[in-house]
Amino acid sequence: MESLLLVKDVEKKYGKDANTFKALEHISFEIDHGEFVGIMGPSGAGKSTLLNVLATIDTPTTGDIYIGKDNIAKMKEEKLADFRRDHLGFIFQDYNLLDSLTVRENILLPLAIAKIKPEEIAKRVDEIAGTFGISDLLNKYPYQISGGQKQRTAASRALISNPKIIFADEPTGALDSKSATDLLESMSSLNEKHETTIMMVTHDAYAASFCRRILFIKDGRLSKEIFRGSKTRKEFFQMILDELAQMGGDVNDVI
Amino acid sequence: MTLFELALKNIRRNMKSYSLYIGSTVFSILIYFTFATLKYSEDISGMAETSKQIKGIMGASAFVLMIFVAIFILYSNSFFMKKRKKEVALYSLLGVRKKSIGFLLFFENMVIGLVSLGIGVVLGFLLSRMLLTILLKLMGLDIVAGFAFSMNALINTCIVFFIIFLFTSLMGHRIIYRFKLIDLFHAEKKGENVPKARVITAVLGVASLAIAYYLALQDLTESQVWRVFGLATPIVIIAFTVLGSYLLFHSVLVYVLSALKGNARWAWKGLHMMTASQLLYRIRGNAKTLTLITILSATTITSGGAVFGVYYNAEKNVREYTPYTFMWEGEKQAIDTSIIESEITFYSKMIRVALDKYEMEYVVIDEATFGKLAKDLGWSDIQKLRQNEVFAIDAFFDERWSEKLDSVTINKVEFPVAKFYDKVLFNVETLGGNAIVVPEQLYDEIKSDETLIQAVKVTNYKNQSAVSDRLAASTENFSSATADYKNTIESLGALLFVGSFLGLVFLVATGSIIFFKMMTEAEEDKAKYAILHKIGVSKKDMNRTIRGQVGVIFTVPLVLGLIHGGVALVAVSNMFMMDFLVPVVIWMLAYTMIYAMYYFATVRSFIKTIRRGYLEG
Ligand SMILES: Nc1ncnc2c1ncn2[C@@H]1O[C@H](COP(=O)(O)OP(=O)(O)OP(=O)(O)O)[C@@H](O)[C@H]1O
Ligand SMILES: [Mg+2]
Repeated sequence: MESLLLVKDVEKKYGKDANTFKALEHISFEIDHGEFVGIMGPSGAGKSTLLNVLATIDTPTTGDIYIGKDNIAKMKEEKLADFRRDHLGFIFQDYNLLDSLTVRENILLPLAIAKIKPEEIAKRVDEIAGTFGISDLLNKYPYQISGGQKQRTAASRALISNPKIIFADEPTGALDSKSATDLLESMSSLNEKHETTIMMVTHDAYAASFCRRILFIKDGRLSKEIFRGSKTRKEFFQMILDELAQMGGDVNDVI
Repeated sequence: MTLFELALKNIRRNMKSYSLYIGSTVFSILIYFTFATLKYSEDISGMAETSKQIKGIMGASAFVLMIFVAIFILYSNSFFMKKRKKEVALYSLLGVRKKSIGFLLFFENMVIGLVSLGIGVVLGFLLSRMLLTILLKLMGLDIVAGFAFSMNALINTCIVFFIIFLFTSLMGHRIIYRFKLIDLFHAEKKGENVPKARVITAVLGVASLAIAYYLALQDLTESQVWRVFGLATPIVIIAFTVLGSYLLFHSVLVYVLSALKGNARWAWKGLHMMTASQLLYRIRGNAKTLTLITILSATTITSGGAVFGVYYNAEKNVREYTPYTFMWEGEKQAIDTSIIESEITFYSKMIRVALDKYEMEYVVIDEATFGKLAKDLGWSDIQKLRQNEVFAIDAFFDERWSEKLDSVTINKVEFPVAKFYDKVLFNVETLGGNAIVVPEQLYDEIKSDETLIQAVKVTNYKNQSAVSDRLAASTENFSSATADYKNTIESLGALLFVGSFLGLVFLVATGSIIFFKMMTEAEEDKAKYAILHKIGVSKKDMNRTIRGQVGVIFTVPLVLGLIHGGVALVAVSNMFMMDFLVPVVIWMLAYTMIYAMYYFATVRSFIKTIRRGYLEG
């Protein structure tokens, strides 16, 4: 089967001239349709940068990124916006909620932009808010809710439009284990039932164990890749822990 | 690092919000100082000495300007401080004493204020000279442009702004004591509390406007109101207008926006809810700004409309009673043929006609002369005279008190009037407004001295003073449209001058106030639009929202301002007893167009700022 996401020799530089800093170097990999991929690595390794570049929010300095047949590294801005709206969903590390909109409005924004009917929108908002346990918060403003509640709001917004690919940057970072498990399970079920492709950055081995495959990044380069294969989630969890332990000094960072 | 260094460093980093704030402040000072210079200018006050009305207008305008700059600066300041709150909270969190922070904020505000005052006064001095010179040129007035630096204006400006800055500085100082740390951290995110849309507020607003309109439409000479309030009447009217507009915005706007936002059909379509909530998010500030813009627009429309109306009427009056540029009795005079449009020489006689109660003198001309003159003036309803008929002309005919001539007795024979014209056929100053047109044969039979009359039309008649003066010196019974026009304009000089100046100042003020306000909002909204960009909102949709957001801020006050201005102009036209309808409509259209240009310029800059925001990430 043809791969959904093809990353070819991507490099990302920040800054200019003498101050340049390579956040990503020689990154190449493929992701197939329906995969659930985790990205792990120490803080500052370039995980968020990679995700932003793949998610078309940022542009790579060099290299190509194909989603299906489209090379998004070369796409025009207007087309990119439509592409994001129609195919991609995001959960950002820093939530990115709009302060002037209520939780409900934040969640339904992608549907409103896609010109879905209000009745349909209302139904889907109720559904997803129920899933994430934020039904009582729908009329509050972001500054009135907790960090974890914000994260769940952001997740609801990302998932509500049933996107083809979901990019999640530490979606469970601010959640207690119960909410984290809920979020991970709903992502898993999306992945299994709707064949949604998911790419998730995480520091947490438990969260990572929900993935089918994990890419490790260090200092802007891909360092290792492990697969869950036919193992159970518990076995995979142990495998990730071992891997992290092997990477040595980084363990403290990661756990 | 000392606190002072910290503050300096911080200023450098937040250059954008500082420069927007300083820009707004400098601008306010500049406008106010320019106006103060005008107010204290001896040339103007010398002219204004005679006229109570002008003093009233000047006083009211100074008041409006003062209120406008005060509100504008207070609002800009609160906006600016809101951005600073988080930083203040951070200092506090790091253990800097409240006293030091309070002092820092007070000091910072004072310094910004004083620096702006310096810049504003210097720029204001230059601008006032420039504006005044341009204006004098435009109006062709011969007032000496000796608008010297006015000490009074400087002192006045300094006092007004010192008080304003002292106030904002004290407010800044209080921030740190008044708020809890947690509020300071959330300040930027929180938005303003949305006030309840109360019916009573709307009713009060409408009532205030009704009172203001009622007062404005009182007859100046008879009304009790003017007797009670005297010259303060315009200020009372303006105060009610301001209050009414504010209450109206406060209630109606909140109501409409909340209703729209609550309506899923409308709100959940594209970015509609974004537009509505952006406006609601800053509703108090918006109500203030909208009021300000309304009043500014109304002032601009009124002053511009009045000036334009007076000009228009001056021209119309001249055209109405002096259709020929020059007319005189006697021989032809040498006039540069290249400027002559038409030239008619004719003879006239005089007769006395007995009316019901008195006798009137009429100019008599024969039909051929009539034909020539009427054709030259472009009359369309020229009939042929039959035997024993005459035409009558009365330039001053007014149904209310004039008598319509049915027949005339000449040489003891009565001739019916075949047609009565209530228009001018020649300059009334030379030949009077009444004339009778008779057939050639009858003309010859009339026994009276004949006078030779010259009528000349020249191109560009407003600027032929030299010719006019020469002819005036060498001819009898001379009348000149050039001189009439000049006299009218000069007699209204001071009023026109103040009106045009106000119009110009307020036009600039309105544009800039909206611009500064919208740019400040753009800076604030950058982050929001960056989020929208990230979740895949297209540029087109975003631009549409921006146009909507900016559009409301522009349109709503324009509409109300046009209404206010319309009422004020009815009042002014009553005062001068002139018909303003045509010039006012033209001026309102012109204003709306200039305003539309402001709108497009603002939208452009807004979009640019937003784009820069999300592209840089
Ligand atoms: N806009 C930027 N300009 C310059 N350098 C940047 C920028 N954004 C990120 N960096 C640098 O690039 C590197 C990678 O950052 P990135 O945010 O991708 O890290 P990360 O792996 O997501 O870390 P964390 O786990 O802490 O979120 C870091 O060293 C960071 O300092
Ligand atoms: Mg990160």
